[in-house]
Amino acid sequence: MNGFLHYFLSALDPMSNLGFSRAFPKLMTSALPSWWFEVVLPVALVVLPAVIVWLAYVVKPALVRPPPLARPRQAEPLVSVVTAGRNESATIGQCIRGALLCGYSNLEFIFVDDNSTDDSVAIARRAALSVTRSRHDTERVRIFPSPRRNGKASSLNIGIRMARGEFIVIHDADSIIQYGAVQHWLLPFTDPRVGGVAANIRVDNSTVNLLTRLQEVEYAMKFTLAKFFQSKISVMDIISGMGGIFRGEIIRRLGGFDTGLGDDRDLSTMLLKQRFKLAFSNDAVVWTTVPETRYHLWRQRMRWRRNIIKIRISKHRDMFLLGRYGFANAVIAMQLAVRLLIPVTLLIGLFWAFYQHGLEGAPEVVLTFYWILVMFLLVRILVARDVASTPKLVNFPLIFLYPFYVLWLEMPNIYAEWSELFRIGAKHHYVPDHIWEEIPWW
Amino acid sequence: MTANPHLDATVVETRRLDLLRRIADSGGAISPVAEPQAKHGYQYVAPAGDVANDLAVLARQNYLEARFFDKVSLCPKCDGCHLNVREICPSCRSAHLASEGLFHHFRCGYVGIPPEFTPEADGGYRCPKCNHTMHHLGTEYDRLGKAFVCRGCGLVSETPPVEAICLSCGARTPAENLVSTVAFSYLITSRGAEAVRRGRLFGDDDEPVRVADAAVYRRTVILEFLLHQMKRLLQLNEPFSVMLVRWAPGETAAHDGGEPAKWLTRLKGCLRDVDLIGQLADVLYVAVLPHARSRDAETLRRRIETELGPRSPLSLSVVEIKERKDLAGVLAGLAGRGEPE
Repeated sequence: MNGFLHYFLSALDPMSNLGFSRAFPKLMTSALPSWWFEVVLPVALVVLPAVIVWLAYVVKPALVRPPPLARPRQAEPLVSVVTAGRNESATIGQCIRGALLCGYSNLEFIFVDDNSTDDSVAIARRAALSVTRSRHDTERVRIFPSPRRNGKASSLNIGIRMARGEFIVIHDADSIIQYGAVQHWLLPFTDPRVGGVAANIRVDNSTVNLLTRLQEVEYAMKFTLAKFFQSKISVMDIISGMGGIFRGEIIRRLGGFDTGLGDDRDLSTMLLKQRFKLAFSNDAVVWTTVPETRYHLWRQRMRWRRNIIKIRISKHRDMFLLGRYGFANAVIAMQLAVRLLIPVTLLIGLFWAFYQHGLEGAPEVVLTFYWILVMFLLVRILVARDVASTPKLVNFPLIFLYPFYVLWLEMPNIYAEWSELFRIGAKHHYVPDHIWEEIPWW
Repeated sequence: MTANPHLDATVVETRRLDLLRRIADSGGAISPVAEPQAKHGYQYVAPAGDVANDLAVLARQNYLEARFFDKVSLCPKCDGCHLNVREICPSCRSAHLASEGLFHHFRCGYVGIPPEFTPEADGGYRCPKCNHTMHHLGTEYDRLGKAFVCRGCGLVSETPPVEAICLSCGARTPAENLVSTVAFSYLITSRGAEAVRRGRLFGDDDEPVRVADAAVYRRTVILEFLLHQMKRLLQLNEPFSVMLVRWAPGETAAHDGGEPAKWLTRLKGCLRDVDLIGQLADVLYVAVLPHARSRDAETLRRRIETELGPRSPLSLSVVEIKERKDLAGVLAGLAGRGEPE
């Protein structure tokens, strides 16, 4: 291990590049688990895609950020923005105004209020009035106050039922569509195989505290950089509910969302099973409000992780069958295994190093491991900044804290995985009881 | 042959007096009745002539008191009241809307209009999405309130816009753009009753300055006095106070009854000769107290309350007027209570 560390650290030193060039072939042919599990595998899975994106951007920028058409080939298609929410009075006003004033004329907005106990409906109507000058439903804005709480999936289905658009945007009530985003969002649909396009999700409240700053760094790498690469090799697995656009025809044919958990992941998976491609648009920017407290962040992440387990392992486990839904879809299903594999491989590498050097060598091993992670992050964050102008420069130093943040986030994730796999506390409080009792897949 | 203006005026006055007399004879009030052929949908049962105009003139001259009866929506193009008001589709403007309760299937989340769900022989419905039969309303499926479905273009909306089509001229107008007029009912006032008793309307020279049977000035007169007092304040720096007097028999547990005139006369007897009382609104009077500072006015108020006794139906309050905004505040307070300034 000492030899490995020596080679590796000498490689970091620009004065001994020559030494690294001699060491690298030896490392690549070595059987050192630390080398393979801590360096090679993470580089291949995480860093290499980022570098490829960056190289593509340098060589041909339009590949990464295609310009909108100077003159549309045909009249702008009708786009329906569907938003469902409960007790969203703080954000629904700016959400509606943002969508209606986003610079796309042929757009209608539908807000389904899931039986809020606050004044969400009144605020939504006021926001609509400020733009359309009408207190009633209009061609551009329609608001449906649901008489009973039905959960998000059903509320979105009401909105989809009311939508007339050729394309339907599914949008969170705490997200804001950036001016000009819709034109970029529609570009990938020139390919008829594309069923849905994910927006570039950016953090609106990143300056609130350290937690939101770290989330901005995370979103830049996970929602921007990773999605771009995944979409290019057709292995994108989800269009986030924070901002996604779909072909209306497909979404109607599917009957909308299924009740229960993970509306966005579920719909994305159903699209993939229908052999449609999911795409990503770098310039279709949607600003979202991320959780500002530990409690809310953990709740969000537990929900996300439970969705993954439920949908991948329980509801759509047939995706794992090679050949049933195509190779790319099997790869997507395997991403779950990879997602679980990376921490496991890193742990194996770590334990191997401990085994080799004993506990007295532990600080050195952990430190080395930490610096490797920081270096990987630095590469990714630089690429994200260059390609997508995110995160903010002021948040760059947070990469030194980021490994701890990831480790800290693993706690709710692990809890969610175990509770879902072993059905501990399986009831989800955000699904109303009368819906929960009828859902067949969990 | 040219018309004689003096004769015309006499004819009009006679007609209005006749109208006033009919109102007095029929219980002191006249209300409009619905009449489809009338221009604005209502008409007054009265002898020929421009009754609505005569009533408005008499109300302006304080022979009658106008009270809200109904609001009539009119076509902004032809002023007609024959409107067909209905909900329309926000998109295609068609009135061919059906109000339907959307079905929501809990099991799969499908939301659709009832015809999309196939009725089963056992009374249930088959969901078009999951093909599962749903039987029990409330536990398996639900109705999501009412929504309007356009039979023309299929658009679903919850609160569609309302539009009126004029049956006279065919103009289509959004409901919020319709013009409206108010139909009034009229009650005869003490002045109107006096005019009927005298058998003629009052001329300019015999315009009474006091409310009939009471020792108080009419509203217009007392406002003139207030204005004059205000000028004295501004030019000669002479502050004064006003005493607001409210006729509130309901608030007194057991007042000994009697007309306002009786109590106002008693009140007048408690004031100085230079103090003036006038009527501001139906049950609101004001006493102008020149040269009275706040403390003097308050002392006066207490003395009057003692004088009138605990069974007095008059509620008194005093305000010292030291600058223009004090009086404005008092008058704004009256407006805030729904009483005229």
